[in-house]
Amino acid sequence: MSTVPAPTLDMDLPPHARHVPQAHWRNAKDEAEAAKLGMWLFLATEILLFSGFFCAYAVFRMMYPGNWHAASSYYLDWRIGFANTIVLLLSSFTVVLAIRGAQTNRNWMIVVNLAITNLCAIFFLVVKLGWEYWPKIQKGELPGANFDYGNAQGSHDHIFLSVYWISTATHGFHVLVGIFVITWAMIKAMNKHYGPKHYTSLENVGLYWHIVDVIWIFLFPLLYLV
Amino acid sequence: MITQFSMLASEIGPQQKFWFRHNASTFGDTIDPIYFYIFWVSAFFFVLLMALMVYFGIVYRRKPGVAPQPSASHNTFLELSWSVIPTILMAVMFYWGFKGYIGTRIAPADAETIYVTGQKWFWTLEYPGGVTTKDNERIADVDVPVFAVPTDRPVNFIMTSTDVIHSFYMPAFRTKRDVFPNRYTNLWVKALDQPTHRVVGDTTKGFTVEQIDEKNKGYFLFCAEYCGDQHSQMGGRIIVVDGPSYQNWIQKQSDTSNIDLVTLGKLLWSAKGCNACHSIDGNKNTGPTWKGIWGETHEFQDGSKIKVDLNYIRESILEPAAHVRTGFSNQMVSYAGRVNEREIRSIATFIMSLNDAHTAEAQAEAEAELAEQKALKEAPAAPGTPGTPGTPGTPADGATAPKQ
Amino acid sequence: MSAGHHDVSYLAPKETLFKTVWSWVYTIDHKKIGVMYLCAVLAMFFLGGVFALLLRMELWEPTKTTVEGVTGTFLPTVNTADGQQITVNNMYNRMFSLHGTIMVFLFIIPSIPAALGNIFLPIMLGAKDVAFPRLNLMSWYTYVFGGVFALYSLIAGGVETGWTFYTPYSTTTNWGNVTSMVLAAFILGFSSIFTGMNFIVTVHKLRVPGMGWFDMPLFVWAVYATAIIQVLATPVLGITLLMVVFERLFHIGIFDPALGGDPVLFQHFFWFYSHPAVYIMILPGFGIISEILAVHCRKRLFGYRAIAFSSIAIAAISFLVWGHHMFTSETAVANVVFSALTFLVAIPTAIKVFNWVATMYKSSISWTTPMLYAAAFLFCFTIGGLTGPPLATLATDIHLHDTYFVVAHFHYVMMGGTVLAFVGGLHHWWPKFTGRMYNENWARLGCILVFIGFNVTFFTQFFMGTLGMPRRYATYVDEFTTWHQVSTVGSWILGIGFLIHLMVFLQSLVAGRKAGANPWGGLTFEWEAASPPIEHNFSHEPVMTHGPYDYDTALPPHCDPKDFPLPDPALVRRVHGAH
Repeated sequence: MSTVPAPTLDMDLPPHARHVPQAHWRNAKDEAEAAKLGMWLFLATEILLFSGFFCAYAVFRMMYPGNWHAASSYYLDWRIGFANTIVLLLSSFTVVLAIRGAQTNRNWMIVVNLAITNLCAIFFLVVKLGWEYWPKIQKGELPGANFDYGNAQGSHDHIFLSVYWISTATHGFHVLVGIFVITWAMIKAMNKHYGPKHYTSLENVGLYWHIVDVIWIFLFPLLYLV
Repeated sequence: MITQFSMLASEIGPQQKFWFRHNASTFGDTIDPIYFYIFWVSAFFFVLLMALMVYFGIVYRRKPGVAPQPSASHNTFLELSWSVIPTILMAVMFYWGFKGYIGTRIAPADAETIYVTGQKWFWTLEYPGGVTTKDNERIADVDVPVFAVPTDRPVNFIMTSTDVIHSFYMPAFRTKRDVFPNRYTNLWVKALDQPTHRVVGDTTKGFTVEQIDEKNKGYFLFCAEYCGDQHSQMGGRIIVVDGPSYQNWIQKQSDTSNIDLVTLGKLLWSAKGCNACHSIDGNKNTGPTWKGIWGETHEFQDGSKIKVDLNYIRESILEPAAHVRTGFSNQMVSYAGRVNEREIRSIATFIMSLNDAHTAEAQAEAEAELAEQKALKEAPAAPGTPGTPGTPGTPADGATAPKQ
Repeated sequence: MSAGHHDVSYLAPKETLFKTVWSWVYTIDHKKIGVMYLCAVLAMFFLGGVFALLLRMELWEPTKTTVEGVTGTFLPTVNTADGQQITVNNMYNRMFSLHGTIMVFLFIIPSIPAALGNIFLPIMLGAKDVAFPRLNLMSWYTYVFGGVFALYSLIAGGVETGWTFYTPYSTTTNWGNVTSMVLAAFILGFSSIFTGMNFIVTVHKLRVPGMGWFDMPLFVWAVYATAIIQVLATPVLGITLLMVVFERLFHIGIFDPALGGDPVLFQHFFWFYSHPAVYIMILPGFGIISEILAVHCRKRLFGYRAIAFSSIAIAAISFLVWGHHMFTSETAVANVVFSALTFLVAIPTAIKVFNWVATMYKSSISWTTPMLYAAAFLFCFTIGGLTGPPLATLATDIHLHDTYFVVAHFHYVMMGGTVLAFVGGLHHWWPKFTGRMYNENWARLGCILVFIGFNVTFFTQFFMGTLGMPRRYATYVDEFTTWHQVSTVGSWILGIGFLIHLMVFLQSLVAGRKAGANPWGGLTFEWEAASPPIEHNFSHEPVMTHGPYDYDTALPPHCDPKDFPLPDPALVRRVHGAH
């Protein structure tokens, strides 16, 4: 009836070699493929979630083009954004290396690369909070009605800042979630959970991290450069 | 085929049906036939499908021990035809609807412009020269303003809102457009040459609005976009008048000097939409009632106490948020620039008359003021001609014409 | 996977009461989660229905009344904390808002997919469970969490924004608890996304070996198409509602015209989700109707592939038509495009209706309650569908937009479509998931009353619409009085019909006759399982020996050939060819 081989329960083997699929799966391959398909669907929802911000951005840019441009260059320092972009790109690369580590059964490689990824993520958030959000709060460069018109570059700066704040804050929240899931994967890696045939959840963590990066790759030029 | 259908439809369309509103604008002539085309196409398919369903349901009901006859589970010709035929019929609907719609969007160059303001929960229509209506009618327990539309030219409504989204809807004119805060939208109509009212009289004698057909009191104006508590009472009455009557009607609305303050105050109460929030019978509503408040001392949210007098009422109209009564939240926006000083005074006098203790005083004040107005008006005119003051919009108000 | 205690019914109680309760609240069994969803959505349907009856009561009289000094109103006088008195209008506004919000977000969206879909989708695929059972449980608890938020808003004063939360009204109104209600809808969106993701992966990865895409029952196709919409559209609603919350809390100004924002942008975002959401509501109903017709007509569905593809086509096109909700607010060019696209979505829907009626040809129709509901569905949904074109046609929509015509149209689609299909499906599968039969005659009576009541309530509203009665009106001009009163009487008949159904179900649970494994003679996998199914659905993985609708050639499982005679094989070969 089922093609699942009798599970080996040898406690000397690392956990990944002892993996038994959940009861409703016909085999481990189906289970792994399902997890990946599920992850891709989740990524689709993420992209659509952020598409709301991109639409709002496009609409208001069309409504207030000059003001938008002035606000972008006045309020945002492209150098900070650029530094964060580089950091995120680097972290994407290290996640790939971590997965490579699992494929080649080098556990240290998973742990070290995930650690670097997490450091990059923390760096990103520290820069975001310390060098962008905090000075902005002090200067009253806040969204909507909370905006302090003292330094206004145009009549609709507060709308630009609304789009900036809610989109970067939502992205920042995703980075924060990323830190937690990467830490979770790191702990699993330390327990030798991953192996060449069993690294689906690590791969999914990687996919999630890539989407966080990709969204930033779009947010950065739209908010800081264009 | 289209013309055939439209001929069939136009025979049905414009007639007053108990289930389809009488048409009063040129749009109805193009839009109603489209509706009836869709209606008859739909009716045909509905009857066909239901007849088949009932027939199959009876003929092929299950009989114990009898096997069903096998039949094909698809048929390319049949499936193609029930895909293609509806597609063609719907393409006609789309194209015809699109053509009819485009005609409703571009206002003709000779259209009369009327500025419309939507506000919770009343409409203000500003006619040429900044004239607003003083006439009102009681519909569904609310006094709603009466607006006139001419038959001799199209009207272009340029509309905005002061608070939330409203929608300007005149069912008999087959048209509707959303009204937004912070932007203008427009809508135009051309009334059919079937006036419902005529306006007779002249500037010295005053004007009277007469209904032509006793069955047709005019048409409804509704708000069609949900806007809060009194959304359903944000209405109006549209009357259709011919060209000369339209001019007379505007004259009638522009000249209020021959209306005494109490009567004018009551007219403004409904014309300016005060009645949306303030009752005059003592009922509590979104805003405080006007009944019996004159001369009373009220307590306000900031702890202060003020006696209700002309100054307080003036402040409340021009700066509504300055003093807010305890137990209420301020929903009102400033009327600065939308009422003149005589109108403010008339509202105050009207409020005064609503306090039984002050009614006589208010009447006396109103009569004195009216005499003053008349004297001012007649001073340059030939002296000695006894002018009869015009009848105000609603005779039911029992305006007492002062005799001298 | 060891046999033994897993072979008992999933409903069987455990050794102790505590263990039984625990086996439900901490279950990852898709059937138990489905049953819990079912109970919740039925409770919400009841609640939303009560609000519907109340608001129809309010509309009995045309006149405006404030609470003080009114005569003949049944509404209580209510004072808020700051001594403000609530008008009847305000009460009415909250009733229609709560009716809409509860019915849309808490009842109709989860009704068929999360309740019946959860129970039957895996069984119909021959699977033991959905792909991610724990995510499924999380979806249920997310739903409960969202429901708690919604109930909190309801108890703490309700909302009066309408279920559409249009800005700037929703961001400026002081009444009620708009923020918590918006958050409720936001949270419920997650529950919907989780269910959708689960179903897509289940359909891809857990079909029984040998079951191709075109061997799937049409209910599975419909739920699959629904799941695609749930996954792709709901996030946009999520972000929109979040922005409304930010707007209320921090005044960010994106949708607030007073700050230079754009209220129409909200409408675009909202309908980008909520129009596809209409298909989230109706597509599973299509699936149920396909199942009921096939089983109770003992007939292979006419045009199986056309029905399957049209579900996917509807799902795809549904993303392109949101602009038709803004014909009275948007620019002419945009309106023309959206009008054309809207007609496009009508065509696959029309094809389905033709296919269903054609399925009845030369069939063997057993007029059970599910079949009566299928016929009622065809009647009402056809009206609902055919009243779509006047609203898609630009010229006529301008008159009908935001009137009772629209109210009637979507109730014919949502209630006459989805709800009738849902109740029909509930009767169809009731013996399967409860293991008991219901009283057929009483259920038929309930169905007839629901059908009559529904049509009396809503058909009148088409006339009010063409006469120009705007929707969401607490008071109205006198000339609509008769129509409104007829409609209100209809709502009572409708209420009695549903009450009879409730009694029938309760009676069945307490004293119903035990159901066999296959009371209707169905061919899909759920009829192969026991009634009620065992914990892992099947004692042996089922084998594909015939298509889901091969009624001409296959004897239904657990059935006596005498009760379900097959046609002459020679005739069958002549019609279908040899295969």
